[in-house]
Amino acid sequence: MPVKLLLQLSWRNLWRHRRRNTILLVAIAIAVSGVLLLNSMLRGMQVNMQETVIDNLTGHVKVLQPGYLDDPSIAHGFEVARDWDLEIDPDAVVGWTSRIRVPAVIMSERETRGVQLIGVDPARESISFLDDIVIDGEALGSPEDRRVLVGAALAEQLQTKVGRRLVLITQGADGRNREAGYRIAGVYRAEVAGLEKAFVFTGAETLKNMLDTLVVTEVSVRLVDDRFEPGILATMVDAFTGLDVLSWRDLEPQAAMIAEFMDTAVFIYFLVIMSALVFGLVNTLVTAVMERVRELGMLRALGMRPRSVVAQVVVESSLVMAVGVAGGVLIAAGVFALVADGIDLTAFDESLQSFGVRPQFTPVMQAGDVILVVVLSLVLGLLASFYPARRAVKLRPLDALRR
Amino acid sequence: MPNPVVTCRDVSRVYEGDGVPVHALRGVDFELEAGEWVSVAGPSGSGKSTLLHVIGGLDQPTEGTVTVDNVEVTALSEAQLSDLRLHKIGFVFQAYNLIPVLSALENVEFIMQLQGVAGGERRQRAIDALDALGLADLADRRPGEMSGGQQQRVAIARAIVTNPVLLLADEPSANLDTATTEELLDVLRRLNRERGVTILTATHDPMVMSYTTRQVNLRDGHVVAP
Repeated sequence: MPVKLLLQLSWRNLWRHRRRNTILLVAIAIAVSGVLLLNSMLRGMQVNMQETVIDNLTGHVKVLQPGYLDDPSIAHGFEVARDWDLEIDPDAVVGWTSRIRVPAVIMSERETRGVQLIGVDPARESISFLDDIVIDGEALGSPEDRRVLVGAALAEQLQTKVGRRLVLITQGADGRNREAGYRIAGVYRAEVAGLEKAFVFTGAETLKNMLDTLVVTEVSVRLVDDRFEPGILATMVDAFTGLDVLSWRDLEPQAAMIAEFMDTAVFIYFLVIMSALVFGLVNTLVTAVMERVRELGMLRALGMRPRSVVAQVVVESSLVMAVGVAGGVLIAAGVFALVADGIDLTAFDESLQSFGVRPQFTPVMQAGDVILVVVLSLVLGLLASFYPARRAVKLRPLDALRR
Repeated sequence: MPNPVVTCRDVSRVYEGDGVPVHALRGVDFELEAGEWVSVAGPSGSGKSTLLHVIGGLDQPTEGTVTVDNVEVTALSEAQLSDLRLHKIGFVFQAYNLIPVLSALENVEFIMQLQGVAGGERRQRAIDALDALGLADLADRRPGEMSGGQQQRVAIARAIVTNPVLLLADEPSANLDTATTEELLDVLRRLNRERGVTILTATHDPMVMSYTTRQVNLRDGHVVAP
C-alpha cells in the first residue's frame, strides 16, 4: 500500500472523531509534558546535588595521602612544589587548588566548638563554594592572610562577630598541639548552612606556619563537566604517584548513589506514567477500531492486504501519538521556560538542607531525556496500536462487512 | 471456445450456527461466460449472497471448487485472495461501502492506488469513470454529502475503473428507490453492452432481473429451474 495513501487515510481519520481524538491527544500531551517536567525536576535535583557536593571543597577530582580519610591530620600531608601546575587542557578544567585541612578546636570568649580548619589560597578558590558566599566583613586577601573567615551559624554559636579574636587549637606536624589567636576578617553565609558550622578558613601559608610544615593535605580539581573526569583522573594518577587520586563519587558515595538513582528514577517515572497512558490508549484505539470494523472489512474486501490494514491502524495510532508527543514537548518547553531561571525554595530550606540541596532550585532539561521520552513514547504507542490492529484483521472481511 | 470467467463445481457452504449446521449452498454447479450479465435470484436465505461471496473470495466453500479467470479461488491464501479481489474482481455492495474520509474521486482512485497505478493516469481514469456515470460534478464530494443513488454510482465507478474481469453486485438496488434503481440498471447495462463488462448480480428485485441476460435461480442452496 503506498505510504502516501496510508498517511492520507490516517490523517483524515484522525480528524473524523475530533472530540475523542482531541481528548486522547490532550491526555498524551499532558502525560508527556508531565514526564518531561518531572524529569527536569529530578535532573535539576541531581545536578544541584552534584554541584553542591563538588562546591563543598570536594571538586571533581581530589588528591589525598593514603590514610587521610581515616585520619585527616597533617601527618597525612604531602608536598606540592611551588612551581607545580596542572598541565591539562584548559578547556576541560575550571581550576585547581591545594589546601591544608585539619581538625581543630575553636574557642571564643564564651563557647568552644570542633571545626575543620582550612588553609586556602583565596585567589584559587573560585572552584568552590567560597566563590559564591556572602561575607559580612572582609574576605581573606592572600595565602599569607593571618585572619580567619567563619560561617554565620558558627559565629552565632560562638557568640562572636567580625573583628573579634578567636583561638584555634590543632595538632602540628610533630604531633604536638599548636594554638594561635586569629582575628575574624569576615563572617560568611553559605547556601547550605551546614558548611557555615563546619569550615573555618585562613591563609594556607599562615596555617603552614602555625603547623610548622610545608605540606598540604589535598589538591582539588574542578572540571568543566563530568565528561572530562576519566581523562583527568588518569593524568592526575601519573602526576601524583603514590597518592590517592579520587573522584567525587569515591569521596561522596551517598551523593553519587543518589545521582545514579535519579537516572533510574527518570526511567521508572516514565514507565509508570506512560504505562497508565498506554492502557488508556489501547482502550481508545480498540474502541476506535471496533467502530470501524465494517469499514476495515470493506477495505479488505476491495483487495487491501491484511498487513496493509494493520499498517493503516498502526500509522493512525502512531500519528495520534506523534501529535500528542509533539504537543507534550511544546507544553513542557513552555513551562520549563518559565522556571528555567530557578525556583525559590527558601520556604523549605531546612528540609532541603538535610538532602544537601540548595534553596534556589534550578530544573534541568537535557536533550537526552527529551529524546528518550519522545522515542519511548512513540515506541510504546506503536506497540499499543498493534493489538487493536491485529484484532481488526483477525475478523474475516465478510464477518466484518456483516457487522 | 474460451474458458468461462467463473466456474463453480459442486460448491457447498455449511455454516455451523449454534451447533445446528445451516446449508447455505448445496452442490451448486454454475458457469458465467465473458460478457454475460447474470442475476442470481431467489428468496431471502436461498444462498444468493453466499454464492457471490464464495466467487469473490470473501468466503470459502465447505466443498467444491470455484475458478475465476482460470484461477482456482479455493486454493488461494488470504493475501492471494486480496490480490485476486484487487486485480480481477469489482465489488458493488448493497450498502455502497465507500470510504467516508475520501471524496468521490479519491474513492474511485483508491483501488488504483492499491494497484500502484501512477498518479496522472490514475486521476484521469477516475475522472473518466465518474464522467461515464454522470458524476463529474460530484467528484469532490464525500460520501456523506451524496444521495444513496449517487453513492452507489460512485461504488460502480470504483468497481469498474480497474477493468476487472468480473463485476459482483450484491443487491445493488436494495437501498434505492425505483427511479434511481432504473438509472443504476441503465448504467450497468451500458457497461455490459458497450464495454463488455461481465456482471453477476444477486437480487430478488424483478426489475433487476429484467435487465440481465440470464437468470440463475437458487432455492435452499440449490440451483433450480425457473
